[in-house]
Amino acid sequence: MKNAETTGGKTGGKTGGFSRRTFLKGLGTTAATAMAAQTVAVAEELEKANAERVFGPGAIPVTLSVNGQKLKLMLEPRVTLLDALRNYSSLTGAKEGCDRAACGACTVLFDGVPVYSCQKLALEGQGHTITTIEGLSQGGELTPLQKAFVEKDALQCGYCTPGFVMSATALLANNPSPTPGEIKHACAGNLCRCGTHPHIVAAVLQAAGIQNENKTEVVNYASLADE
Amino acid sequence: MKAFEYATALSPASARDLVADRGAYLAGGNDLLGRLKEYIESPEILVNIKSLPGLDQIERGQNFWTIGSLVTVARIEQDAEIRSAFPGLHDAAAEIASPQIRNVATVGGNLAQHSRCWYYRQRDVQCLKKNGDLCYARNSDNRYHSLFSGNDCISPVVSSLATAFAALDATAVVLRNGEEQRWSMAQLYADAWKMRLAHNSLQPGDLVLRVEIPANRPRSVYLQVSDKHTFDWALVSCAAAADYVDGKLVRPRVALGSISPVPHQVEAANDFLEGKALDDPTVATAADMILAGAHPLDHNAYKVPMAHVLIRRALLKLKG
Amino acid sequence: MPAWPTNNKYISQSTIRVDAVAKVTGRARYSSDIQAEGWLYGMILRSQWPAADISSVDLEPARKIPGIKAAVTVKEGSFTVRYYGEEIAAVAGTTKQACLDALRAIVVKASPHDQFVVKEEDARQPDSAPVWQGSPNASKPRVRETGNVDSAFPECAAVIEGFYSTPIQIHNPMETHGSTVSWNDEGVTSWASTQGISSVRDGLAGALSLDQSQVRVITDFMGGGFGAKFGAGVEGVLAARLSREAKAPVRLMLTRFDQALAVGNRPSSFQKIRIGALADGTLHAFEMENYGTAGIGAGGDSGGGGGGANIPAPYLYKVPNARVNQWSVAVNAGSSRAFRAPGNPPASFGMESAMDDLALKLGMDPLELRLKNDSNKIRQHEYRLGAKKIGWKEKYRPPGSSSGVVKTGIGCAAAAWPAGGGTRSTQGEAQISPDGSIEFRIGVQDIGTGTKTVIAVVAAELLGLKPSQITVRVGDTNYPAGPGSGGSTTCASVSPTVYDICSNALSQLQTLSGIPDARGDNWFAACKKLGVSPLTVHGQWQPGLSADHAGGVQFAEVAVDTETGLVTVLKVVGVHDCGLIIDRLTLESQINGGIIMGMGYALYEERVMDDLSGVMLNPNFETYKVPGISDVPEIEVVLVNMPERGVIGIGEPSTVPTAGAIANAVANAIGVRVTSLPITPAKVLAALGKVPPAMKS
Repeated sequence: MKNAETTGGKTGGKTGGFSRRTFLKGLGTTAATAMAAQTVAVAEELEKANAERVFGPGAIPVTLSVNGQKLKLMLEPRVTLLDALRNYSSLTGAKEGCDRAACGACTVLFDGVPVYSCQKLALEGQGHTITTIEGLSQGGELTPLQKAFVEKDALQCGYCTPGFVMSATALLANNPSPTPGEIKHACAGNLCRCGTHPHIVAAVLQAAGIQNENKTEVVNYASLADE
Repeated sequence: MKAFEYATALSPASARDLVADRGAYLAGGNDLLGRLKEYIESPEILVNIKSLPGLDQIERGQNFWTIGSLVTVARIEQDAEIRSAFPGLHDAAAEIASPQIRNVATVGGNLAQHSRCWYYRQRDVQCLKKNGDLCYARNSDNRYHSLFSGNDCISPVVSSLATAFAALDATAVVLRNGEEQRWSMAQLYADAWKMRLAHNSLQPGDLVLRVEIPANRPRSVYLQVSDKHTFDWALVSCAAAADYVDGKLVRPRVALGSISPVPHQVEAANDFLEGKALDDPTVATAADMILAGAHPLDHNAYKVPMAHVLIRRALLKLKG
Repeated sequence: MPAWPTNNKYISQSTIRVDAVAKVTGRARYSSDIQAEGWLYGMILRSQWPAADISSVDLEPARKIPGIKAAVTVKEGSFTVRYYGEEIAAVAGTTKQACLDALRAIVVKASPHDQFVVKEEDARQPDSAPVWQGSPNASKPRVRETGNVDSAFPECAAVIEGFYSTPIQIHNPMETHGSTVSWNDEGVTSWASTQGISSVRDGLAGALSLDQSQVRVITDFMGGGFGAKFGAGVEGVLAARLSREAKAPVRLMLTRFDQALAVGNRPSSFQKIRIGALADGTLHAFEMENYGTAGIGAGGDSGGGGGGANIPAPYLYKVPNARVNQWSVAVNAGSSRAFRAPGNPPASFGMESAMDDLALKLGMDPLELRLKNDSNKIRQHEYRLGAKKIGWKEKYRPPGSSSGVVKTGIGCAAAAWPAGGGTRSTQGEAQISPDGSIEFRIGVQDIGTGTKTVIAVVAAELLGLKPSQITVRVGDTNYPAGPGSGGSTTCASVSPTVYDICSNALSQLQTLSGIPDARGDNWFAACKKLGVSPLTVHGQWQPGLSADHAGGVQFAEVAVDTETGLVTVLKVVGVHDCGLIIDRLTLESQINGGIIMGMGYALYEERVMDDLSGVMLNPNFETYKVPGISDVPEIEVVLVNMPERGVIGIGEPSTVPTAGAIANAVANAIGVRVTSLPITPAKVLAALGKVPPAMKS
């Protein structure tokens, strides 16, 4: 589909009057200097520069900062962040489970904070720092949380996993020593149908360096039958 | 969603101009985008109000606190001073939806949210609130619906913050046609009581600016029951707030959510509780007064005993 | 005669899932993630009526929407739709937005029927609006009888009668149904979210009039199925047809709304049970009348189960005198499909509820009643193990004895899953390279159960290698055919097959290399002798290494707030037959998963149909409630290791008894029984007599 990593992709002909050039011209030098600034400042700058301007309804240039890389896309205002990631770029790590902000499979970090990317307009992601599951393991190294998920088998089909990992990552960043109750509170917005929940709690505890033992018992029937 | 235009407003006046008669304000977007996805409404322009100045502050004043309409629910949950001053408000906020939703949901959005009635939210059902002829819930599955109603629509208010604010006697300040309106929670939802098409008293163009909470009820409580333990709409919720001096209630308020189009409060019950000690008979009498006139339907009668219990527990919890 | 080795390094130990890293980094590509070159987005238009005659479908306005490349109707000419959500047409376009606009542009001329029926009790009425023209909604009752029920009941010392009901449960895997399909001159490739690649291939070949060999199905990762994902599906065929018209691959995944309406569910049950026992507790007489709905009818869509709404009865316990009378009723709603242990969870719930009620009447401990009547020796041991873990002796008290507002209680139930053996036709191959690397290829699916890992573990054990040295490839119809992933048969199918491949591999390598034992340390030396040509070894399922019938017992402890009605499950203990344990880690995950799904069935899940409008009221995760992390109790699992049985299955037995155990625990706690699932706070309050009568609307 459209992957205007470079501009001038072949998208939706009727762009409602905004070419990338006029967009950048409007920003002036603000964009260049803002790139180096804090994300909040960048967002504010962009919003001020674009304030009151009416965009769309056709596709407009949208630049998203995802996992430290710039995604330059042509998107209608109604395209959600999830849609932009999965269908306009190759970042399919965030999943579509419901598209209704009810299941958490689409969870990404938005300035470090977990949000449902299915209920966020992509163009509102401009100037913010977006982190997806693909952005966690920099240089191929798993984070301690990812390692713990693997070791504790906190995943089965794996479809809900990116969402849970993002929620738990944000939790541990703010609360390095969570209780099981706090883990559940932080993951309350993520659904799983395969039933990974007990292992997820165990994995987050492990990643936090908190001892938790597995109580599963193996009993050999042969020894029982002898009784 | 149908296609729409998008603009960011920098002042309330320009927000109103941009919205005109064809648009909607976009704050967190949890509710609005959900409605657009089901084609319940299709505004031609979404006006981002998140850049409006001065609406995202929590201010602690001498006699009252101010919470800006753009303050997120997450921020209310996480603010230690709010938790200490208004524990009921904290508890209401902490149970709203999920962390992902709380992180973007705003106070204004939570108050302004539309009905969650599953007929209203059904894309193919033209219920009364969508200008259809029939309140389906009245005649069919009303398990989540109101015990009290002022018109043919029985969709209840579900805003947890509204319930908590009602018990705290908070005032919503709403900008209408350039002038500030000061509304109690009862007034904020009065139109929903009167008019089948209304979700609250906000009219197109109205902008919630802030909520002011008097600081004279140091004790507050919020409880709810849902089918699930988290991330589930309340079946019934109850907020209570008061001062408690020498073992007697001062300025008590009790409000119920999810059982009426407005946060349900009975002035006579509040008056009855004034100056009383918090014992079982008092609390039971208050609960009876609050629920007098409840009209249970085929599927929601369970809300009566549930509300009774929550009122009792909330009041007794005020004792500390 | 083949036999599993003992003193194993990997088999019966814990091995990390071989695809865990891919899943936890987002690198795993599911069917809904496939981005084939030039791919288009596909979407389905569904009926907004519960029953209607469609006279025409005009696609032209849709084709005019910019970005739309194809549009098809499900059927030519006029046709009848019979449920809210039934497929009418589909479009493919360059964006999701174009597709959304296109669907809304399609003009459907429909005459909605005045009458329709969506509730089972309405469909029972002889004058209910027929779902199928000319057929009554209620099927002919099927009566089975053993012994002499009518003379047996008077002989009983205690008889109870109860009416137990279960709702329609929706599978709702996290990844919806769908596929990315490319249909060009060379044939069809479908990346399908499926439990049965062969079933998809056969379905597509049939529907598209192609040779099966022209259709390739690939499923590397998929996001759960639970029994519903077999066959090409209406959506799979539509995607292929769109692809043909658009001359581009089409990714058509169902929305969550679609998912709830149209791709299967567990039939409901309304069980009137009468059961009696002799004074010593021996079951003597049983009578059941049951009806439920499978929607518009199982028919051809039921892939792997169906058969209407019948359930096995009397479940698990032998009763010498029994009469079972069952029938289904059709309603205007999506039809049922096999759902994790079809028929068993409702059967278990009804039977085990009745057993506890009977125990009460007899004045007997419910556990004792079960021990008396469950002849299965393994379960006898499992009951004792489980009872000890939950603390039955210390905690069991007569119903309602618990003091205080929040009452605790315990209950138990059992599972007997008849299937679970291996699929005889399973085949596989391994390619062994001169550098010692080995790649297994089996046309099976890993639906989250850990099949890929099972293959790696078995191979590693038999070849003397590490699991990380085994490359596993599954989910491609180009590979030798494996089983569908259902019936709890997968592990028992692939394990013996891998065993056979390894035996053949070692045998051939040993011959070729002259090294008498090519395992372990000798493996690389042996492989080097292959020279430049890799060796491909074939194998197939062998008898003697697996078995069927998998049972288990579960105990639940609950706390019920008798003032609000809220049920909190504190603990579930599961004691399950595991046969030869292959991988402890993935096995435990499966049992947890079954229990949690069973808990959802017990407390939260039901499809709600509206009889005024005919729509489904909860086609989403907001009001179709699946367990969240805070609802999940402490789960303690006991794995009964029986290597002498060989490999058996676990996926289904683990979900069968949970609802029965929880329902019994609730009844034990509050002293009165909620007889219909889900056990909501509203129902608990009603059972306690606390709910006032309704007033007129």
